[in-house]
Amino acid sequence: MTNRIAELRKQRQISQAELAQRVDVTRQTIISLENGRYNASLLLAHKIAAFFGLTIEEVFLFEEDAP
Amino acid sequence: MKQWKICLAALAVAAGLGLFAAVIVWGDGMPGHMAGLCTGMGGALLGAGSVKLLIPLLMRSMTPEERQEVERGERDERNVAIREKAAYTSWYWTLGLLWIPFVVALLQGSTLWLCLSSGAVVLHSLFYLVNLARWARRM
Repeated sequence: MTNRIAELRKQRQISQAELAQRVDVTRQTIISLENGRYNASLLLAHKIAAFFGLTIEEVFLFEEDAP
Repeated sequence: MKQWKICLAALAVAAGLGLFAAVIVWGDGMPGHMAGLCTGMGGALLGAGSVKLLIPLLMRSMTPEERQEVERGERDERNVAIREKAAYTSWYWTLGLLWIPFVVALLQGSTLWLCLSSGAVVLHSLFYLVNLARWARRM
């Protein structure tokens, strides 16, 4: 599974620390998500997608959906 | 931290100090293994109790932002997953290590240590099975 967190965060000029604080995780978790080392739970994926005002599918891309 | 937990930690520190005092005062009259047991237990209680008492003090000395960061780190799902994976891996390592005293006892023919070491292996696996059933009911 890949995700567009880094891309969306940079587009909106939000720091990793700010995003982490808004979705109630540590900055290390955001770093791991962006690097693809950790896959978010459904709850965290929902929080992140809601933060960006997008759907989960628009932020998190499953291998078969990824371009 | 809850009040009862602080009381329990204070009691552990007091008990630890009491055991140390007992060894210092009556140490000469005690059998060797008893003095060792009291010192070991005293050290463990003193250490565990002190840590439990020091954590709230440390938290109180932090700024509200730092405290929030620490609390967020405690419930962070990646940290929780890391703790669970570490515990799971440790269980397998401990299971492997528990076979060493069993094999040594088997080679030495010591019935007592054979029973103790095999009991430890069985209990270790039994706790795992009990917890599997417990979590299967909850999830």
